[in-house]
Amino acid sequence: MRTDDLKQLLHEQPVKRLHWLAKGRIHRHFRLGKARLIQALLALPPEQHHQILDDLSRLRPSTQRTATRHPSQGSRAHPRSETPRLATPSHPDQRESCVTVADLLEGIGVPPPQPFHPDAWQEEAITRLREGDVIVSVPTGSGKTYVAIEAARQAMAVDRTVIYTSPLKALSNTKLTEFVQLFGADRVGILTGERRHNPHAPLLIMTTEILRNLLYDAAGGEIDMRLDTLGLVILDESQYLADPERGVVWEETIILCPTQARLLLLSASIGNPEEIAEWIRHIRAVPCTLIQHHHRSVPLRAGYLHPSGKLTPLFTTRDIPRGQPHALHPETRRLFAEYERETLGSRGH
Amino acid sequence: MLVVKPQVMPPVIHPVDLVQTLRHKRLTPAIVFLTSRRACDEAIDSFEHRNVPLPAHRSRTIAQVLDHVIRLYPSVAQHPLLPTVQRYGVAAHHAGHLPSWKIAVEELMRHGCLDAVFATTTLAAGVDFPARTVVITQSSVRKARDLTELTVSEIQQLSGRGGRRGKDLVGFVVVTPSPYIDLHVITRGLTGNPEPIHSQFVISYPMVLNLLKAHTLDHIKSILEKSFAQFQLNQQATALEEKLETVEAQLAAFGPRPCADWITQWHWFNLAQTHRRPRHAICQDAPPILARLPFLTPGRVVGLPKGRGVVLRRYRSRSQHRAMLTVLNTQERIIECPVAQVTEIYDHTLNIEPARVFPWCTPKSLQRLMREVRELPQHLQGFPLPEDTGNDSVMLPEPLTDEFPCPMCPSQPACRKDYTKAWRLRQEHQQLTKTIHAIRSQLWHRFQQHVEVLQQFGYLTATCQLTADGEWARLIRINHSLLLTELIRMDAFTGIEPALLVGVLASIAHEDDRPGIFPRRSPALASVLGQVRTVAHSLASYEDPPLLRSDVAALGELWISQPSLSWGEFVRTTTMAEGDVYRLLARTLEYVSQLHNLKATHPGLADIADQAMQLMRRDVLQELP
Repeated sequence: MRTDDLKQLLHEQPVKRLHWLAKGRIHRHFRLGKARLIQALLALPPEQHHQILDDLSRLRPSTQRTATRHPSQGSRAHPRSETPRLATPSHPDQRESCVTVADLLEGIGVPPPQPFHPDAWQEEAITRLREGDVIVSVPTGSGKTYVAIEAARQAMAVDRTVIYTSPLKALSNTKLTEFVQLFGADRVGILTGERRHNPHAPLLIMTTEILRNLLYDAAGGEIDMRLDTLGLVILDESQYLADPERGVVWEETIILCPTQARLLLLSASIGNPEEIAEWIRHIRAVPCTLIQHHHRSVPLRAGYLHPSGKLTPLFTTRDIPRGQPHALHPETRRLFAEYERETLGSRGH
Repeated sequence: MLVVKPQVMPPVIHPVDLVQTLRHKRLTPAIVFLTSRRACDEAIDSFEHRNVPLPAHRSRTIAQVLDHVIRLYPSVAQHPLLPTVQRYGVAAHHAGHLPSWKIAVEELMRHGCLDAVFATTTLAAGVDFPARTVVITQSSVRKARDLTELTVSEIQQLSGRGGRRGKDLVGFVVVTPSPYIDLHVITRGLTGNPEPIHSQFVISYPMVLNLLKAHTLDHIKSILEKSFAQFQLNQQATALEEKLETVEAQLAAFGPRPCADWITQWHWFNLAQTHRRPRHAICQDAPPILARLPFLTPGRVVGLPKGRGVVLRRYRSRSQHRAMLTVLNTQERIIECPVAQVTEIYDHTLNIEPARVFPWCTPKSLQRLMREVRELPQHLQGFPLPEDTGNDSVMLPEPLTDEFPCPMCPSQPACRKDYTKAWRLRQEHQQLTKTIHAIRSQLWHRFQQHVEVLQQFGYLTATCQLTADGEWARLIRINHSLLLTELIRMDAFTGIEPALLVGVLASIAHEDDRPGIFPRRSPALASVLGQVRTVAHSLASYEDPPLLRSDVAALGELWISQPSLSWGEFVRTTTMAEGDVYRLLARTLEYVSQLHNLKATHPGLADIADQAMQLMRRDVLQELP
């Protein structure tokens, strides 16, 4: 065997194994990195090279056995040793628990049409809104709009005005269409900076800036809005509180919001909903309930699509391991490493 | 050594292949998030190149949905991507498109007609429609010219669009690599907890004016204390205070303590001995005396411990250089008395002809004075005089301050042992106290800074009431409000053409510095903008000046000055994306409408604004409320 071949072989070994090989052969081998280790191993007299090869080949059969058990594993994968001292402790039993692509793609389809049943948290949000403010922080797409609609319906039933704010004009327009279908065109109005459409409707849609301006005007005395009949303020996408330019508007709106009006804050998952609830409890007279969960109504799975068109699971588990220690699927890790090597290599040319 | 690679992997999966694969695995409809608008548009273009059309029945359903949308929003019909969408079942959705187009795409997605929508990561919140699959290709996003990594909340916002309630049993996130992707960022984003929200409270001029309109200063202080910003700052402060307490506890060992060192005691005894008042030094006048001196001119009537008198001359005593007076008292005697004894100074003077020798005035006037002193009215108005506090103790430096080791102590080396630790603790203590104070008063301090500026410009009186200017200025609630209100006060907009007004406001509203090709601006607009730029520059220390791009201003001007121009022709005059142009005009329209609100105080300007609004609202800008 030529030195080049040995070098190639050593390069393919994990550094842990190189240390194992260097033990007893190289003085203070633990001080060396991979490149220096290989250099030192190659610098040994040629008869040592054969012993190194022998040692390596003693490890090989176990690797090949693993490879045959998992044909999907490519030949370039790191031969994983079965000897206890070389096994990586971080992912024991990983191979056994890995999902396959078939598992990942299992169960795709359209659910049979079911009558709509509100979730428990949705009902809770609506009942809690009777006695105080409510903050809803749930994952995207779990049905925050249902809470908004039901709360608005309740408030309108007792002749209270409802204001619904969204951060973007485009979203306001979408909501307008949606609410007009639900409540009828005469009961929904929209206010924008330069235009007022049906401003005396019981349900008003506007951007948060407009509501802030209304609250300013109401405080300044020139009241042109029925703020005394205002029963509910819905702030959609209230994670905009963290927006560097516009966050201040949400804050002002919450501070200046009249006491008799209930606040309903709808937001996507955020890091510190308790803190925000604590703040609102601190500044407003009515109690404030936080409704928060991380459960997705439609389960979400993650996959990795290689540029060659091969799909593999992203994680070793089928569902996304939220808030748990996670590991990449070994196949994905291999493909991605290969991808990185090739793209990084081709960038050099 | 030459390495021959068997096959170079494509850096990114081809969009057509991507959609084909997703179709094959039954993962459509999908939202594909790409980094740039251009990437989205090119992805759509690539479908044209490959030419893999949809089956005819699906194209027909797409056409039906589109017809419905076009009836509501006619501008969709002219969209150049319309045939592509119909033929291939894919669409691009990003901020460069008109809102009506985005609504059309959303409508198509809601009906499940499309296989893939290519969207930018920048506007994740604007993508308000779900799909079965979300494809993520990048781990970073371009924000203000820099690539920043996607945050956990952003990734969850993106991935949250996967899986439609009621239409899917499971949703998918598919990660497909592109160069520079960091898989770790994405896995962390999918599995981790989103970032906590930090308050972004800033104080602006319109906020100050509007708060002062309705509330008193005390009330505003309590309002500011109610802000989330202050809530979070208070939490920080509480944490720091706890730390301060531990530091104080540690510092107690080094705090003020009686110094037992005999050298020190001897030293302070020595200091006290030598620190006697010098006998012959020039006497420094105490503050009460200094306050009296300017009034004690010859002829002034003063009150003395015994009766009243009139000052004949003022001089300094020979020995101690004390301020002295020569007074003619009511007993017609000329006496000398130190200024310190004067009990009262009256607002009453008598005529006197001074002389250089005793009795310090001419004999004739002395006669008259004697008479006049006797006949002084019973009640005289006096000046208020500062009280003599009598605090004339010996000024000795305190031997035992809380400085440790005592800075002047001769036996300092003896105490030096734990000096380093004490010094470090003391520094920390001082720093913490300062920080806590700064944190607690930060918002209020910034509010006061803004108040001062507004007072300086005359929007607020010294007592924080709104002036006449402040009353209307509070209605201008935009980012660069100070610039706009100052321009209005300078009559910069009096009798201005609506087109020029819109041009100027467009340049104030636009906050993007992306270059491009724009229509020519008129010379009038250029000169007005030059003036605006001067004003903005002079206000730079109070308010960040806007970009004031003249090329963008020309765009606003053109839309008004040529009312017959259609939207399509208008957009073709510039390289700016259609959606950006729309947003620029919509924003400008909002600014104009704020000027329109000044009807009561500036009827002329409001009229011009009204005309401008009429002219602006046409074609696409009229479609959406």
